[in-house]
Amino acid sequence: MISRSAVGRNAQLALRRQCCVKPAPLNRCGLAAVSTGSTSFSYESADVGGIKVASRDVAGPTTSLAVVVKAGTRYQPLPGLTVGLEGFAFKNTQRRSALRITRESELLGGQLLAYHTRESLVLEAKFLREDLPYFTELLGEVISQTKYTDYEYHEEVEPIIKLSQQRLLADVSDLAINSAHGLAFHRGLGTPLYPTSSTPLSKYLNDGTIHEFADTAYTKSNIAVVANGANQADLSKTVGEFFTGVKSSTDAVSSPASKYYGGEERIAHGSGNALVLAFPGSSSFTAGGSYKPEISVLAALLGGKSSIKWTPGFSLLAKAASSFPGASATTTHFSYSDAGLLTIQFTGSAQAIRGASTEAVKSLKSIAEGSISKEDFTKAVALAKYRALEEGQSTDAGLVSTGAGLVHGGQPFQIDQVGKSVEGVTAEKLKSAAKALLDGKATVSAVGDLYVLPYAEELGLKV
Amino acid sequence: MSAPSLANAILKRPWLSKIVKPIASWYADAAGYRKLGLRADDLIPEESETVLLALKRLPQQEAYDRVFRLRRAFQCSLSHTLLPKEQQTKPDEDYPYLSPIIQEIEAQAKEHDDWDAAVVQRKA
Repeated sequence: MISRSAVGRNAQLALRRQCCVKPAPLNRCGLAAVSTGSTSFSYESADVGGIKVASRDVAGPTTSLAVVVKAGTRYQPLPGLTVGLEGFAFKNTQRRSALRITRESELLGGQLLAYHTRESLVLEAKFLREDLPYFTELLGEVISQTKYTDYEYHEEVEPIIKLSQQRLLADVSDLAINSAHGLAFHRGLGTPLYPTSSTPLSKYLNDGTIHEFADTAYTKSNIAVVANGANQADLSKTVGEFFTGVKSSTDAVSSPASKYYGGEERIAHGSGNALVLAFPGSSSFTAGGSYKPEISVLAALLGGKSSIKWTPGFSLLAKAASSFPGASATTTHFSYSDAGLLTIQFTGSAQAIRGASTEAVKSLKSIAEGSISKEDFTKAVALAKYRALEEGQSTDAGLVSTGAGLVHGGQPFQIDQVGKSVEGVTAEKLKSAAKALLDGKATVSAVGDLYVLPYAEELGLKV
Repeated sequence: MSAPSLANAILKRPWLSKIVKPIASWYADAAGYRKLGLRADDLIPEESETVLLALKRLPQQEAYDRVFRLRRAFQCSLSHTLLPKEQQTKPDEDYPYLSPIIQEIEAQAKEHDDWDAAVVQRKA
């Protein structure tokens, strides 16, 4: 800050006058110049030289552009490779250094992110609309020309993987969810999102194996470029120009079709308690045929967390948990390209979890018997529809689900169809879905104080 | 760490390098480190952040061999002996294994400084 006394009065006046006479030039992102977008929330998709490209031209001055790669933990040939590949995103490439990538993006006001889900690895850039060519070139370069040097692995990537292992070990909720996935799907989708602390990383993970995985993962048929707030024609043109270095490969990354197993696992843990009850769910909307909207309605009906303030809400689990202070329950539906997992997760004190989980199984049984009020059902359908639409509307979730849908050979996320299919769920369908869950094998994983936490058999679930 | 050197200027001119090369080879041999089984890059002083980092970045085998050569040379030095002829470093074994890494680190540091001093000029 320049203090008032430091700058003479005349200088201040001169400065002020200058501003009045000649308004400061609009920065390059002058708002008036952009907003060419339509307000449609559906994605247009195209195929540019073998690469799937989808975009949604939402009006606004910013763009988010993502390369969604079919290289999530499900597809990693060795444990930890996905996390390693994620760590190498935006590191030194053949053409420029990691430092230059960072500094240039900073100067353009862009943000660079890399993250992964169980099925996809996402490299994302958010930036001002007119910088599309720069960031498309950057993403194209990152996926085709990264150097994967050994010193970067040892100095920058490996410490972060070790930290994420420690974080996972300390987090009972994540441990329980990972354990539930492992029980439900064994390999493939059952692989933990981050390598567990006992995974022998040095045996599997080094710059060489990561480089090999990158060569098979970053291939034309294996990636989708998805953008929000970019013109489809512009995007196709820049992708065609800058993604030429991406190899096309014959041996695609693959994983056997998911099969649901179910079972029970109990892990003793000193810091906190978590219990996950999981049931086979529905695949995601983008997968096409195997999508079952009634599962998302069931998730909304079971609920747990209230979506409005000052009330536990209508959901069955919230009511069940309210009589056990200290326990919190949430129902989440994880949907993947060919399977899904409906999880009910309890956290809190072991005693409260024990009580709340017993109540939760009772309410699931009551749904299966059809003793659900018409009003609750209507509320659940409305909430499920809202959630599905909101997910499609929000930039990040929409990018990932559209990209994942495209690389798995499905369709982009089409928001209006999702809404319609959720509306079509009847009370009868919901009842039969709940009944099927209870008849099949459940997945139960308990982490924490095992003396108190219930067994599946005590809850009345089959494993 | 790298001292100013005329090597590049000489190598660029074939006629000059033809004259200088035999002298250089003779000099390197006469310097005597090869008789202790060392390589030229073993003589780079370690006492700098750059070289320490470069040593960390050496491949495992190279790092092991380097320590072996240094210890063998210390022994020779203590006992005032030279290695037997067949164990001495041959001219073709005396290649730079550390200086490329050092140059890379120096280039990175220079790039960092350049970016810190970068001046942004907006297009009008």
